[in-house]
Amino acid sequence: MTGTVLAALAAQAAPFLACALVLIFLRGRPRAAAGAAIAALTVSFAATALLVWQVAVPNVACGTPPGPCVTQALWLPVQGGAGLAFGVILDPLSATMALVVAVITLAVMVYSTGYMHGDPGFGRYFGFLAFFGWAMLGLVLASNLLQLLVFWELVGLASFLLIGFWFERAAPAAAARKAFIMTRVGDVGFLLGVLLLIRALGVATIPDVIAAATGPAPAFRVPLVAFLLLMGVIGKSAQGPLFTWLPDAMEGPTPVSALLHSATMVAAGVFLVARLHGLFAAAPAVMHGLLLLALVTALASATMAMVANDIKRVLAYSSISQLSYMLMGLAAGSVAAGFFHLTTHAGFKALLFLASGIFIHHAHSNDMREIAEHEPLSQKAGVIGLVAGSLALAGVIPFAGYFSKEAVLGAMGEHVGGVVLALAYFGAGLTAYYTFRMVFLTLRGAAAQAHRRTDAPTQPGPAAHEEHFSKAAHAAMAWPVLVLAALTLVLGYLGGFFAVRLSPALPHEGPFHVGTGAVVALALVAAGIALAWYEFGRAGALRLGFAERVPVLKSFFGDNWYLDRLYNATVVRWTVALSRAAKWNDHTVLDGASDVVAQGTVWGGRILAMGQNGFVQAYVAVAISVVAALGIWLMRTGGQP
Amino acid sequence: MNPTLYLGFATLLFGIGLYGLLQRRSLVAMLISLELMLAAVSVNVVALTTLTGHDASMGQVVALILVGVAASETAIGLSLFVAIHRASHSIDVENLSELKG
Repeated sequence: MTGTVLAALAAQAAPFLACALVLIFLRGRPRAAAGAAIAALTVSFAATALLVWQVAVPNVACGTPPGPCVTQALWLPVQGGAGLAFGVILDPLSATMALVVAVITLAVMVYSTGYMHGDPGFGRYFGFLAFFGWAMLGLVLASNLLQLLVFWELVGLASFLLIGFWFERAAPAAAARKAFIMTRVGDVGFLLGVLLLIRALGVATIPDVIAAATGPAPAFRVPLVAFLLLMGVIGKSAQGPLFTWLPDAMEGPTPVSALLHSATMVAAGVFLVARLHGLFAAAPAVMHGLLLLALVTALASATMAMVANDIKRVLAYSSISQLSYMLMGLAAGSVAAGFFHLTTHAGFKALLFLASGIFIHHAHSNDMREIAEHEPLSQKAGVIGLVAGSLALAGVIPFAGYFSKEAVLGAMGEHVGGVVLALAYFGAGLTAYYTFRMVFLTLRGAAAQAHRRTDAPTQPGPAAHEEHFSKAAHAAMAWPVLVLAALTLVLGYLGGFFAVRLSPALPHEGPFHVGTGAVVALALVAAGIALAWYEFGRAGALRLGFAERVPVLKSFFGDNWYLDRLYNATVVRWTVALSRAAKWNDHTVLDGASDVVAQGTVWGGRILAMGQNGFVQAYVAVAISVVAALGIWLMRTGGQP
Repeated sequence: MNPTLYLGFATLLFGIGLYGLLQRRSLVAMLISLELMLAAVSVNVVALTTLTGHDASMGQVVALILVGVAASETAIGLSLFVAIHRASHSIDVENLSELKG
């Protein structure tokens, strides 16, 4: 095991060193910064590939009953077994996730050398990306929950820094704050849950936590802890009431959206549920609540994606929706299904973002109708990436998304039925509809001219450097897209791999097993694509969706179901009012009190200074009077007070 | 021996010295007044030693030492006044109020 532990440590150390090197020494040297970051992630990639080869492929397990292999060192041990422990956890889940993170980060870094070419913050950008790579790999490989919490917050910090990368503009700065604060709301619960676990177990090593939760007499209240941890998941994975930060997070650079806000960071919540699945499974009521919440989120965000015109927002809503599907798979009891969907989604959603980045870079606009007017078909790699990614996202056989979504829906079919299952299938149809609405709106430009509009939100890309934009930069953007596009055809066959390793107890069918579920899903997908073709794709189409034609629905769906307005009118307003009161208290009461003390000192000094008139004889008179008074007092009282 | 008369004389001497110290504006006159007060202290020492039961010459020795101390003090004071006079061409205390608060 020593070799794999060293590999796991190397995978984390390399990006950390690169981040420190870039941020301290190489900020002003773009080529060196990008080179250092990419070299570090290449090391991580090699190390995590070794982990998969050594741990996930042979399905290594430790202990009885067989579980993840933990190697950790206790730092600052406290009597009673508690303390700070740092270590790595190695099992097929963490090894595979680490490889996914390393691959996507590496691909995004290579792509960014083209996309961010000429940006004044180029060096800083690569420093942040390396920082994120370190934090995310640390999260995935953390052996205990306190360590995981530390890296959980560090990826949140990376998200904040990268969303607000163009902080000199107001919108990204506001979006970064919003993302940070909204995820923090959930993280309060996460922190409390971890603290409860630490109080009960000392060091909350992950296998110990699961063993304790599934044991006969848990040392902590399992449903409460599961609920608190889920709050963190909901914030991080943009679910339920806390999802509205993710669409706004699209203000960051597009490769950042690909890496953090679709493929890896937002999947950290899903990963946590998979990681602690034993704990969550021991709280069935909480799991059922999660299933319903994820279902509502999946459908709600699908409706929002149906009316958005910003290509990145469409993809953001679809990320929320797909994260919900992952959580539904996990909540239905199948770690394999949920994690399989996470893996394929990481591939095809990163692909979609990177492909859309090519169009955004070309058209200097995020608006799909604008992109359509700038000859999108001339961007060959972008078209290939967008189409392949969309086929995978919509769930068309034989692209990756089909297999993983089938696994999720199959797991749900085993677990729940009736309306919930029907709605989950309906969501799959909606996914196909909004995905191909995006494809047709973006690529079918000729038909768009009749409906040219000017209300496009302007978000200049990192462009304005077009004249320096070299062939090498184009290639740097094209290659990751093409590699990921090829991966969408490959990743779908990993279902069996995950099923055997992550959910060995559940039944598993081969990838091309076609049951009623698959037929229904494919029929719904076909219907969704056909509707999208009718409304957006065919010659002479109105290019106006059915939801967009109803003004009420358009504004309701297009405005995050008015959730942001609700929050602004309630929580945000109350918080601002409270902050104002605190500010008044600080400025008027506290500062006022210290001002009074200072003024009093000054005035007291002035009054006393009047006695200091500079005449020696006056001083002598005072001194003698005081001594005389003292003498008289001593004589009268004899020194007794 | 009743020292009351001597103590009364010393009090008178001290009072005259104090009055001069507070009244006169010239540094030299103030120094002279200070010497008067010191002389009153010497008289007190000589007079009060007789009450202690010790040898009365003890107080006289102390008084002689006090006279020596007073002489050296006067020498230092006068040299300071010369220096002050060189600096400000005056030994009037009313003009020496630069340390006013």
